[in-house]
Amino acid sequence: MLESFNFRVILEYMPLYMQCFLATLWLSGLSLFGAIVVGIISCAMRLSQSRILRSIAGVYIESIRSTPLLAQLYFLYFGLPTMGIMLPEWVTGVIALVLNSGAYYAEIIRAGIQAIDFGQIEAGIASGLSYFQRMRYIILPQALGNTIRPMLGQAIILVKDSSLLSLISIVELTRAGQLLTSERFTPAEGFLTTAAFYLIIYYMLKAFSGWSEKRLIFREAH
Amino acid sequence: MKKRKVFTVMVSLAFLFVFFGTAAAGTLDEIAQRGELRIACQTQGAPFSFVDRNGKRTGSSVELCELIAKEMGVKVKFLNYDWDGLIPALLSKKADMLAADMTPTLKRAMKIAFPDPYMYTGSVVFVKQDSPIKTLEDIKAGTKMAVLLGSTGESDAKKVFPEAKFKTYKGGGPLLINAVLAGHVEAGVNDGSSARSQLSNFPPNSVRILEGQLSRSPLAFAVRYDSPDLLRWLDLFFLHIKLDGRLEENLNYWVNSLDWKKDH
Repeated sequence: MLESFNFRVILEYMPLYMQCFLATLWLSGLSLFGAIVVGIISCAMRLSQSRILRSIAGVYIESIRSTPLLAQLYFLYFGLPTMGIMLPEWVTGVIALVLNSGAYYAEIIRAGIQAIDFGQIEAGIASGLSYFQRMRYIILPQALGNTIRPMLGQAIILVKDSSLLSLISIVELTRAGQLLTSERFTPAEGFLTTAAFYLIIYYMLKAFSGWSEKRLIFREAH
Repeated sequence: MKKRKVFTVMVSLAFLFVFFGTAAAGTLDEIAQRGELRIACQTQGAPFSFVDRNGKRTGSSVELCELIAKEMGVKVKFLNYDWDGLIPALLSKKADMLAADMTPTLKRAMKIAFPDPYMYTGSVVFVKQDSPIKTLEDIKAGTKMAVLLGSTGESDAKKVFPEAKFKTYKGGGPLLINAVLAGHVEAGVNDGSSARSQLSNFPPNSVRILEGQLSRSPLAFAVRYDSPDLLRWLDLFFLHIKLDGRLEENLNYWVNSLDWKKDH
């Protein structure tokens, strides 16, 4: 089986793969950051006292979670220009990923916050801490610590979802595999190499989450 | 002990013969035995292979394939693929044959075998109706152009306009027209007959095809190189339908006019 596997082609396309690897890293890194910010904000809105903020966040989270990312992406790319909003491909792609994963992050963080015993918040209020101090020193460190694993899971989903951006002509890892396949008709070589690069990103994310988890637990102990 | 050894050798020899026996049978025999011709094709490639408004699979290539199966005396089974999934499907033996509006380029012929071409076409450039681009000469360095991944239009366009900026799409010609209409690109490049038939589904006078073709390219079906019998048979098939006028009838209805629009 291996004798028909063409390593020479892979080597020849390595510069393209490296370029696409960096593109995927950069696109999904930016989207991940954006998605966590959007997730925290919409989670705060969902848990707020104001009914209007609560329902805005509810509509956002529900509508994103109930529709496929590909439909959202096509809407942003082909639909928005007909309404007069024209954005470059990579901006459209990042916005789609941020909006999509942001909704999932909102739910993950909400679960983390609601898992915290209400007694701690009462204790915070009794000690005279303000809302932001309670958030900063009591709730968020624990909520984020508890949710590192599901957050990592969502980050991995986001990286894999970034492969859909190849459909709106963005050049990233999956497109590199498609290019190799369509130019040399070697699907096994093309997509296995793509998969190997995704695996590298996965291990990078896993190492990062392991490191931050240790760090958060260490902090809690002191 | 010795008896057992002889027995083992005989069994292995028997297996070997069975193995060679099946390997030696040609693709035509296999198809006849199976009673089914498996064809890889697209669903988005009007007027060659597409799903019409009644949800029925039809098109020029589809009717040719039905004719092929009829002449072979077997049933036909169509397998749906995206454009760039066609060749891998053929190579991985999921299909016996590939039927699409494919140009037998020298590069593709490194991997798959093409019978003689049955018609000729060429890539065209299309722009938005109100575009400042009036002729092919107006396309300058940096003009943004939409092409389909792995298509003949892509390689033609890159040859003719090496300085243009290309955006590569995947998922069928209508996407290119959408990209032009949405303003993501200034021009699109696709095969002439496909572009014309796909444009008829869009609002009239929204997109304009520029005068002239980028290339004159043949179209052919394709098989694997390990099916020389099927290849030979297809050459003969196309010769026959060329001589008795069935090919001309097919092409006049589907490709050289928009007659089929009335029925599909």
